[in-house]
Amino acid sequence: MSDYKSTGVISLDDIEVPSDERLKAGPVVIIECVENIPCDPCVAACPKEAISMDIITDVPDIDFEECIGCALCVTECPGLAIFVVDCSYSDEKCKITVPYEYLPVPDKGEMVYALDKRGDRVQKAEVVNVRQSGKTYGITMEVDKGNVWSVRGLEVME
Amino acid sequence: MTVVICRCEDLTEDDIVEAIEKGYDELETLKRHLRMGMGPCQGKSCIPLAERILCRETGKSPDDIREPTSRPPNKPVPFALLASEEVDDHE
Amino acid sequence: MVDVGGHMPERRIKDHPVLEFERGNEFYFDYEGKKVKAYEGETIASALYADGLRKFTESKLLERPRGFFCAIGKCSSCIMSVDGVPHTRTCVVLAKEGMKVENQGARPKFPFIEVEKGKRLERDIGIAIVGGGPAGLTAAIIAAEHGADVHLFDEGDKLGGQLVKQTHQFFGSHTEDAGIRGIHIADELIERAQELGVEFHNRSTVLGFYPERTIAVERDNRFEIYNTEGIIYATGAIENFLAFENNDLPGVYGAGGVQTLMNEQGIVPGEKVLMIGSGNVGVIVSYQLIQAGVDVVEVVEALPEIGGYQVHASKLRRAGVPINTRHTIKKALGEEKVEGAIVQKIDENWQPIEGTEREVECDVICIAVGLHPDNEFLRQAGCEMEYIRELGGYVPKRTEDMRTTTERVYVAGDSAGIEEATVAALEGKIAGAALTEEVYGSSKELEKKKEEAKKSLEQMRMGPYGEAPRQGVKMCTVDEEVC
Repeated sequence: MSDYKSTGVISLDDIEVPSDERLKAGPVVIIECVENIPCDPCVAACPKEAISMDIITDVPDIDFEECIGCALCVTECPGLAIFVVDCSYSDEKCKITVPYEYLPVPDKGEMVYALDKRGDRVQKAEVVNVRQSGKTYGITMEVDKGNVWSVRGLEVME
Repeated sequence: MTVVICRCEDLTEDDIVEAIEKGYDELETLKRHLRMGMGPCQGKSCIPLAERILCRETGKSPDDIREPTSRPPNKPVPFALLASEEVDDHE
Repeated sequence: MVDVGGHMPERRIKDHPVLEFERGNEFYFDYEGKKVKAYEGETIASALYADGLRKFTESKLLERPRGFFCAIGKCSSCIMSVDGVPHTRTCVVLAKEGMKVENQGARPKFPFIEVEKGKRLERDIGIAIVGGGPAGLTAAIIAAEHGADVHLFDEGDKLGGQLVKQTHQFFGSHTEDAGIRGIHIADELIERAQELGVEFHNRSTVLGFYPERTIAVERDNRFEIYNTEGIIYATGAIENFLAFENNDLPGVYGAGGVQTLMNEQGIVPGEKVLMIGSGNVGVIVSYQLIQAGVDVVEVVEALPEIGGYQVHASKLRRAGVPINTRHTIKKALGEEKVEGAIVQKIDENWQPIEGTEREVECDVICIAVGLHPDNEFLRQAGCEMEYIRELGGYVPKRTEDMRTTTERVYVAGDSAGIEEATVAALEGKIAGAALTEEVYGSSKELEKKKEEAKKSLEQMRMGPYGEAPRQGVKMCTVDEEVC
């Protein structure tokens, strides 16, 4: 376990991640929710029943084989803790979908700063998809494959 | 140094500590001695702070401390309203 | 639209990612001989704040500047003279065209008000619910569904309590209201209560409890007395304050006050905010500040760990906000208003570590160090109280049905112990059902709904974050016979 309780920054050790094979096979969900909080909208959001809980305070149990990476859960999670990564996209690049609730909302094709879990700028990235659900957006960016585990946010350029 | 405990009655931490040292070591007696919690807000923010100072200064636990008596009106209200006499017919 | 002549940036929010502010008609009122712009629906305090005013009054002995603080009529830091009446809490009184607002000074003169005839109202009613937040609304709904005569009293113009400031999606079960933003939950509950014929007494300041079960109320400058068959107190919570140097300086605000100003009234509190406290309120309000376009410079937390949910903290970190644990605020800087702050590291024994003082540039210091139950009426009603740290302070002893030790006096929501909105709503349901049973007789359906709510409540309190409330509730829950 990392020191997320004092930093607010989740590390790979804290969460369940898909196997390398699964990552290569197509888009898949990454849920950075580790605390047994009483919350379950992600379970209801999944069309494939890939996310399950026995009781509401369970951490979401993800069946990566069932997950199709549709990202519907990304905009339903009240904690904005769900992301989708797609490493099957190309040799150099991957796609990352992040939840977004700020203004301005970037447009498809726009260049943005991809941010890491500390809000630091990691690289410039192109927005390849924008999906709205209620007031929450799921923004998909194209980032370098090496940044697949670091990029989790975005900042619109001035 | 001004650390305000009771905003309405302008009591500082030093005022409270001094009163505790004099023996006013309950919320009720602090209230009577200093008017703590008797201003327009009726003790809504000062009582928990004073309670903490009391615990720190006297070694009491919060279980041993009783909240002071609460009396209406809880909010500022003109006396003229309280003094009104005639009763409206229920509309 | 920047004020001509002034250099204040526009404080009213135009575009917001979650909220839409539909402002009413624009008009002006008079403040110390100056015309101040306001929109219909704005409180006097909000309009003055948007106009740039920071010092609302002076304290009565030390004559220190006092500003806006709690924003919900509890703290009395914003009292001014309105149309000749001093001690008017400007944060709960709506601005009106042509109104005359003045600084009342440290020692105001009180005017002679002629007692008008026919001002008093006295009525016998069924169930009185004090507080129109999630607990009060759900209590009202279940009671009205089963034929009770229900009267809901709230000080605000609009009901919904603190729900109306909650712009984030709710946690909890998707079968309840999770994923829905608090503001919309409030609208739904209000609509439902209205359909059922619950009588809303908005703008009604409840002044006290009198035996047997009478409540005194002030509404629109009239004194009202209601003799009830039973009362549910759902009065919510009061924000905890913090002791540090210059803690009374305008610009030091409660997190709830900031939320009211920002999310209800659509006015930003400042430009750079230092957040004190990393509990859920602190991290959520920080996020909402960023959404409103305000810079959150830092979150400081005295404990070694972040108090709020990790998901909220992670959200803030992704937005680039540092969260510094084992830190405290030493002092607010500034003469008439906050112009900065000194923060400092603390050791394992909570003692400040010398030499670690650091100046933070900010114009707002937001205090989010927890809440305590608003229990004044419960104490007046003679309910047996107990100090329960896990529930934030002194709470009434109660049965599983939320009945206190005083006959036909019930409690629900944060006034029964600090938890969160979903819990408050469930407790409201239980109290509403139980009091209806007591006053009007029980039914199978009512009993069933009550037991379902108890079961949901139990589930909400599972998990590590439910540990403290679970223990706390256990300590103050007593058997039926005791009450």
